[in-house]
Formats: sequence, C-alpha cells, structure tokens
Amino acid sequence: MKKLIITAIAVLFAFSSASVCLASAKANARKGKYTYRKVYKSCHKRGEVESATPFLSPDTKTMAQWDRVFEEKDFDQFKCKEEWSKLSDKDLENIHAYLRAHAADSPSPAKCK
Amino acid sequence: MFRFIFERLSGKRCLCLTACLAASGLLLLSTAAAPAAAAEEKAPGRQLADQATKQRHFWNTVDHSKLKALQQVFTSGDQITRACLSCHTKADQQLKKTFHWTWTDPNSPPNDRKGKAQYSVNNFCLSSNAMHDHHCSECHIGWAGKGKAAAIDCLRCHGQKKFNFEEAFGDYEAFSTSSDPDDKEMAKEAQAEIQEAAQAVGRPTRRNCGSCHFSGGGGDGVKHGDLDSSMTTPHKSLDVHMGIDGQNFQCVRCHTTINHNVAGRFYATPAAKNRKSLIENDLSPKIMCESCHSAKPHKAGSKMNDHTDKVACQTCHIPTVARVLPVQMWWDWSQAGKMKNGKPYEVKGPYDRPTYVSTKGDTRWAKNVRPEYYWYSGSLSGPTLKDSIDPTKIIRLAWPVGNRGNHNARIFPFHVHRGKQPYDIERSKLLAPLLSGEHGYWTTFNWQDAIARGQKYLDLPFSGKYGFVKTEYVFPSTHMVAPKDQALACSECHTRPHSRLANLTGFYMPGRDRIKAVDTGGWLLVLGCLAAVLLHGFGRFIFKKNGGKK
Repeated sequence: MKKLIITAIAVLFAFSSASVCLASAKANARKGKYTYRKVYKSCHKRGEVESATPFLSPDTKTMAQWDRVFEEKDFDQFKCKEEWSKLSDKDLENIHAYLRAHAADSPSPAKCK
Repeated sequence: MFRFIFERLSGKRCLCLTACLAASGLLLLSTAAAPAAAAEEKAPGRQLADQATKQRHFWNTVDHSKLKALQQVFTSGDQITRACLSCHTKADQQLKKTFHWTWTDPNSPPNDRKGKAQYSVNNFCLSSNAMHDHHCSECHIGWAGKGKAAAIDCLRCHGQKKFNFEEAFGDYEAFSTSSDPDDKEMAKEAQAEIQEAAQAVGRPTRRNCGSCHFSGGGGDGVKHGDLDSSMTTPHKSLDVHMGIDGQNFQCVRCHTTINHNVAGRFYATPAAKNRKSLIENDLSPKIMCESCHSAKPHKAGSKMNDHTDKVACQTCHIPTVARVLPVQMWWDWSQAGKMKNGKPYEVKGPYDRPTYVSTKGDTRWAKNVRPEYYWYSGSLSGPTLKDSIDPTKIIRLAWPVGNRGNHNARIFPFHVHRGKQPYDIERSKLLAPLLSGEHGYWTTFNWQDAIARGQKYLDLPFSGKYGFVKTEYVFPSTHMVAPKDQALACSECHTRPHSRLANLTGFYMPGRDRIKAVDTGGWLLVLGCLAAVLLHGFGRFIFKKNGGKK
C-alpha cells in the first residue's frame, strides 16, 4: 500500500513537472517580457505604483518559486490587480516563461529595466 | 617654599616676574586663538583645487532626440554608430588610435608589444588570447563583443541609459517579422526603446567607465581594490572627489581627454610626463594630484610639504582600499577543475564571495585592505608571454618601476593581487590558456587542450608540459581618497617596529630607523646639558651669587 502511494505521488509529480516544462517551452518568453512591462506601464499611469518598471524582477525568485506562483495563481504580490485580471491565460504563460527564463537560478538571471 | 622665593626677590625683580607671567599669558592666549583663524584659512592646495574646479555644471548645446539621424529604425549597433559618425565624422578615426581600442601600449617596443591584445599576461583571466577569448572582448568598446572586427560602440562610453541593445535588437527582429498584430505592437515598443536609448548621449559618467573598470578581472572588485561598483555613487567618506555628497566628480574630470585619448597609465607608459600644476601649464592633463593641488599643497610651514618630493599624496590620503566592497587578494588556478558528483561547483565564503569555483580555482577576498608601499615613477614592468621566467621564484607580472634616486619616483600605495597560474615547464614561459567558449577551459576543464588552443591564437609554442607558478600583480591605489581627517598620522610610518614603510630600505627615516651611536651620543648630550644647567643653578643658589649685583 505504502509503495503504491509513493509511486502515485512520484507519477503525479513527474506529470505536473513535465506539464509545467512543456507549458513554459510553448510559451513565448520574449512576448512575456513586453506584456509584463506593459502591465506596470499601465498601472503606473493609473497611479497605483510609483514606477513604470516592474518591482519584481525575474531574479527575485528561483525557477521553482516562479512555478509555484503561477501554479497557485498567487498574483496578489504583483499588485496592479486590475491589469493582472485582464491578462489572458496565454499572456500569463508568456510572463511565466519570461520570469522563469531569467530566475535567480537560471543560466541568465535578470533584473527589470 | 614660595615665601622663601619671594623673600629672595627684590621689588624690581618682582615686577619683572609679573610682566613675564603676563606676557606668557598673552602668548598662550594668542596661540590658542591661532588654530581658530587657521581653521578658516584654507591650505593653498585646497584653494587651488577649488579654483580649478569652480565650474561644476556642464552644458550641452545639442538635444540628440531632435536629430533625424537618431530617429531612424535601428536594427543593429553598427547602424547607431553610423548615425553618430554622420555628425561626429572624425570620432572613429580618433578612437581607433587610442589604447581603449587597440589594447596595446603604443610605447612598448615593436618586438615586445604590451597590452591585452598583445602578449601581456596577468594573474586574473590570464590573457585575452589576442582578443580571441570572447569573454574578455565583452569589455572592448566595439559592438557585441566582436573585438576590433566590429564598429566602435559610442554608447558604451557616451550612453546615459543603461540598456541591453543586443537583447532589444533581437526582440525587434522577432516581433517585426511576425504577422501577429500584438507582435507588431511590441516591435514598435522595442524600437521606441532602442531609439530612446540611442538618443540619450552625453559626457561619460562613472557608470559608463565603471561598466568595464569596476568589473575588471571578471567581476565586481576582483582587480583594483580602489575601483568597484561602490564608486558608481560613492559618498564623500569613500572618495572626496567623486562623493555624490561632495564634489561629485565624474572620472573624466581628472582623466581629461584629447582626441578621445583618455589620460591615464597603461603598462609602462606613465599617466603623465611631468607633475605640473594647472598654473604652470593649463593645457596639461589633470591626471596628477599636483595638477590641481600643486606640489606644496599644505599650509605654509607644514612639515607635510617637505614630504611631497618623496611621498605620493595617495600614500597618506588613501589609508585603505576596498572600504565598502571586498577585493580579491588571491587566485589559485592550480586548484581549478575539482568536481562534486561529476559537476562543477562553487563554495561561498566571507562577504558572500566565492572561495572556490571549479572553473577558476581558489580565491580569497578582503575588505579595508592596507596597501603595500613601493617606489614608483609611474611605470609598471613585468614579463610577457614571450619572456623567460624563473619558476623557482615568485614572478612579478606587474611591478612598480622606480627607486629613491629617481627624481620622479615617489613612495606609492599598491594593491597587490597574488596567485598561481600555468607555465610551460620545458620552455620556462608563462602560458595563455583559452578560457571561455565551446573549447575553452571553463567548458572542457582540460588544461592541455585549452593551453594548446590559447597559445595557437597567439602564435606561441607549447611544449605540452605545464605546471603552476606563483605570481604577483600590483595596482597603483589612486582612487578612494579619504577625507583629510582620515589621512595617515605621522606615527603610521615614523614608528618602530610596525611602520607602514618597513619594507622600504636604503635610507634613514626618523622614528622608524636608528643608528645606535647617534642615539647614544644624542642622549649623552641631552643628559650632559641638563646636568650642567642643574649644577650651575645649584652653585648659584648655594653661594647666593647674582653676578656681582646687589
């Protein structure tokens, strides 16, 4: 029974990891960068945030941490709720791909400029 | 006792004593008031420098965003350069003759050329392999790290906006060739950002110069000790000249420029041929302290003015380097290549800096580093990859030239970087392995192959047998000038046995050195004088003689 549970968890983990990777692979990180910046330009125009530059840079989290944020759709930390609620699933995938591609433990960590 | 003394004094004498006491009181009062007046009076060196840098606001007569040449669609760096050159027609001809482009000391002999693009070798990333190591070329002022093959990148020094052009060009190309309307919109955005960055130009700032010079040796604070990212926006306590809460000098305030030739030292070529102040020659570069502060900068009568012919200003005014961020002190390439579970790894140490990296070996870091002091005439010397070495000794790859007899030499502070690096056992010459790229050591971890490839780029032989030799490399400490209250006290050098100048021998330095016979003779004279005065006084007191007067 114990073996069965462990195997099931392992299969589930492998499946979810693979799906995250596949989703990231399909998504367009380049587009994600511009969509992400657009969110904050618009939000800054509205006056909610002080700067038009996103305050959370890709290198503020590791790849796994970004995965968790997008899996749980935990977008409150990004502020600018109005703009985030308007983003399509495809936009979110692209932003996820961008943040993940330049995460702290990625080959090319990056800050937002 | 006092009664006894007064009894012995006549009325006239009493008056005389009162007058003397009054005069001493006045003298004491006047000497106490003197420092207050002196505090208001500035030292001549300070006055001169204030005058030389009176104008602090620079102006620009061109709004580059209004120029048609900079409003076109840019798809590559070369295009931006062409736009710059359409107005600044001579800029690239000038720049390509400078050390910043050639990476070659023009004053080195043709058969022994020195410079990063030549046969010079250091104990950081060792060599640029005649600029074939692309990691080194990232700092060359051409576009995209292509070395001298690319067009000059004007924005590396003049761009006022921190911007990743290569990434933006890639984005623009990807979006503009797509049929998706969203992508077209993003292409417009990317192009607008490129144009905005290309139009934001001006005089070089600390950030421009620092983008290469603060990260020399492959990382922040690896190389110099007196140059790291803490100097981008330093406070006066770190550098009195560049402090944003003080003079806020940009690098080019002292590193003055003629025809794109930036004043400064390179290899054996000193930063300046003479030490003239701007009063003596107002067209000379401002690179020396004397340029603005003169050769006698301290107040008249100050003992410090007597030191300036032998002690550099930096020696006393830069007590330590790496005061905010750590500097690398040691790099041992012989330890590189270790793996954990078959993979390269890194170990972090104090100051959050690596103490071991598989690609690089052992490193050590330190903060608030006390410089080492040597005689220095402005030139550094050391062997190139072509010169023979004695591997049983520590090889001095860059070492100050100068001695006490040289009128242009001064005692100067240096940050010294030490380490171990590869050399050819059979040829007794230093080696230049290729480090970055597909076939570089950082990818293959194969010294044999990396050395063979690196040497080939330089057209130099390799016997196939390599070892590691200890080396030293000095950097003159000339930035991070501390506020005057932190300058060295006399006792830092004129002391025994921990004088900062303990290693400099061949001359007598009061406080540090002693000649036993002179010391003994001096003390005998002092004690003899004291004894004579006491004896004389005692005799007069006993025999109540006052010179025959009543």
